Amino acid sequence: MPDGAAAEVVSGDAATHALAFLTEMSPDLRGGAILDSAGSVLAASGDAGRWGEDAAALLGVADRAGDEPVEQVHIATEQGEVFALRHAGLAAIVVTDRFALASLLFFDMRAALRDLAAPLSTFSSPQAPKSRKRSGEAG
Amino acid sequence: MPPKPHRVLLDRFSGYADEAAAYMRRRRVSRRPFARLYYGGGRASDHAADSVAGGELFVAAGRLIEVAGKRSR
Repeated sequence: MPDGAAAEVVSGDAATHALAFLTEMSPDLRGGAILDSAGSVLAASGDAGRWGEDAAALLGVADRAGDEPVEQVHIATEQGEVFALRHAGLAAIVVTDRFALASLLFFDMRAALRDLAAPLSTFSSPQAPKSRKRSGEAG
Repeated sequence: MPPKPHRVLLDRFSGYADEAAAYMRRRRVSRRPFARLYYGGGRASDHAADSVAGGELFVAAGRLIEVAGKRSR
């Protein structure tokens, strides 16, 4: 799917379900937001305005730090860790406690955005799954 | 007299668990803040906190951490 193609069709409800999925999958997660390609907040765990501003600022700084748009960001500080991921025209930004498992978190974020961007997203259905498991996980 | 087979397995498992715990303990103590950016094709770059880009990244991350607040659970 071309980058930027998905953002127009993603609803706020679907993004809210995707964020809930991420929160459920990652016990270390403190909060997060999902943005469309224009930087508008589709879903956020708190003040959507501040999430939008600060996430755009982070992605802007990250883009300026290199010679091409950044795909993933991982910043670890003493106070917590910040993860950002762009996929299919969407962006997910989450904040976790220290020492969160980066590979698992990026895996879940990518899975959520990929599903959200798909034409038949499971997050868009009226009965969006309350609980999902990582692929390959028993249960 | 050789040890019972299940004791060998238990000892080995305990050894692995001890090593993993020690690794995690060391990681917590020695890990320093970092800012890492990943690009398409798997390229990655690290930015030190005392560099211009690194400083800006840490400031932006700090704001997000502030917005997220403390974990409620």
